[in-house]
Amino acid sequence: MSKNMTQTQFKQPVSNQASTDAHEYAKYRARIEGRIRRRKAVAGFQSALIYLFLTVMTIFALFPIYFVIQASLGGNQNLYSTDLHLLPANPSLDNYVYAFTQEPLLAWLGNTLFVCGFSTLLGLFCSMTGAYALSRFRFRGRKLSLNLLLVLQAFPALLAISAYYYLLQYLNLLDSAPLLGLSLIYMAGSVVFSCWNIKGYFDTLPVELDQAAMIDGATQWQTFWRVVLPLAAPALAASALLIFVGSWSEFAIANYILNANDNGSNLTFILGLVRLQGDFRTPWGYFAATAVITSVPLVVVFLFAQRFFKSGLTIGGVKG
Amino acid sequence: MLRVKRSQILLYLLPMLITIAVINLTPIGYTLYLSFTNNTLFNGEYNFVGLTNYSYWFSVANTDLLYVIGNTLLYVVVCIALFLLVGLATALALNNQKIKGLPFWRAALLVPWATPYAITSLIWKFLFNYDFGPINQIGRIFLGPQSGIPWMTDPFWAFVAVVIVNVWLSYPFFTVVILGALQSVPSELGEAANVDGANAWQRFRSVTLPLLLPAITPATILSSITTFQMFGVVYLITAGGPVTSADKPGATSFVMIYIYNKILGDNAANIHYAQIATFAVLIFIILGSVTFLTRSLGDSKESLA
Repeated sequence: MSKNMTQTQFKQPVSNQASTDAHEYAKYRARIEGRIRRRKAVAGFQSALIYLFLTVMTIFALFPIYFVIQASLGGNQNLYSTDLHLLPANPSLDNYVYAFTQEPLLAWLGNTLFVCGFSTLLGLFCSMTGAYALSRFRFRGRKLSLNLLLVLQAFPALLAISAYYYLLQYLNLLDSAPLLGLSLIYMAGSVVFSCWNIKGYFDTLPVELDQAAMIDGATQWQTFWRVVLPLAAPALAASALLIFVGSWSEFAIANYILNANDNGSNLTFILGLVRLQGDFRTPWGYFAATAVITSVPLVVVFLFAQRFFKSGLTIGGVKG
Repeated sequence: MLRVKRSQILLYLLPMLITIAVINLTPIGYTLYLSFTNNTLFNGEYNFVGLTNYSYWFSVANTDLLYVIGNTLLYVVVCIALFLLVGLATALALNNQKIKGLPFWRAALLVPWATPYAITSLIWKFLFNYDFGPINQIGRIFLGPQSGIPWMTDPFWAFVAVVIVNVWLSYPFFTVVILGALQSVPSELGEAANVDGANAWQRFRSVTLPLLLPAITPATILSSITTFQMFGVVYLITAGGPVTSADKPGATSFVMIYIYNKILGDNAANIHYAQIATFAVLIFIILGSVTFLTRSLGDSKESLA
């Protein structure tokens, strides 16, 4: 758009002054108008293409979600039925009622919330105190530990999954409190990243703040807790969100550690969902309703916390 | 920097140190230790066997290691190329001020990002179902009742399926990253190139793209590493299958899935924990060195300051 604007504005006055012959001027005008029309057509074609592309991408992005929501509102068609439904025949909330009453859905959600909440709180505490020490204090082995943390971050817990199993067995958590054990594993897996992220954010806060607070009589802990932490809220929120989201969907370790009881009420929801989908008798509507219910908390958390995302992650200097 | 007593420094570090020592380092150390033994499910009283397990993975007869890593790298390359392509295209479209209803398009295109991947993987698995999945059912409306893509049983289509799902899940991240970078490109630069007579492609190629690279490069490296370790999405959809021959890993058995299936017992009666541990150590060495390299190539000065 800006291209033909600048050119026509530029050329017309020049040619006005230059051409004395009216016939030549008309010819010139026709040529310019033709060019503008062609450009407009090209631009129109371009934006039509862009709209087409955006529409296709939107269908791609939304189709799975649309499909599962419409199925959750539909009747209780079997998970494996041959007729295609793109609109629910008789919209009702029956599937949701069923999901809440007939499945151990609340137990799954409770278990998952426990695992995610515990790992987030504990992970945040460990990483923010550690990050503070790494950012504010100078001690021998500081650089080495920062580098060691980096290498550790490259180690997916999944690689040592049987070792984790023995560790929980050794700590007596495997049978008595497997969910606690699970959250400890998640917590440890995320501590490294959050520590780096929060440390990077602390580094951007001037150390004079701490010094001023301590001159005013605050203890070291008060300085950390009352002065530095509130200022680092975006980084803390972003780290907490990442730990929470990471634990929410984790499947591999949970599947290895947790042993389902008869109705599967001691599982996290993702294991429950897999169980539900693996069962041929499961009506598709129930599965869909369960999937929607278990997604909602995470989407809410995500929407709530995403405004912290940009500053909390980019200022922290965690890049690649 | 603050001057404090050494005991106080330790106090701040202690929670993290304990966590890392007990929950991170112990299993890694144990895995490393296992890799030098002959521990199997049936061999409780195991002993040191030196590098036997390592030579097992590198022996000429054993092609699993190369096959699995090669397959994973192929997956990474295909996925990353598509992330960049789709991310760039969507970002350019969303950066076009002439398009009406930008907030709507933006929100709609970012939806896959906000959904829990484990659940959407299960949904996609159903969408890909041969007989009952809506993708094949919609295809049958146009192509006749006998048609259908064997998403889960054909090695090629299974690979395509997990690529599609991963692109669906990951392109919004690239859209956001690239859109952010695009919006920080001053429009004067494009106009200047315009005056100099550059066409749209030249403007993109020589003005926009170089300015996008600092944002795209770290996102690409990060994504390559996470895609290499991809587990949940692929496992929930294909579980590493389909397996075409008994002595070859399945078509979507990427490194993590390969290890996981081995530990769960696969079809072998005796689970060879020591060999699996060795495989894990090898993968760890690869991942650790790649991470370390990219970090030190990046801004090591800034991060370690």
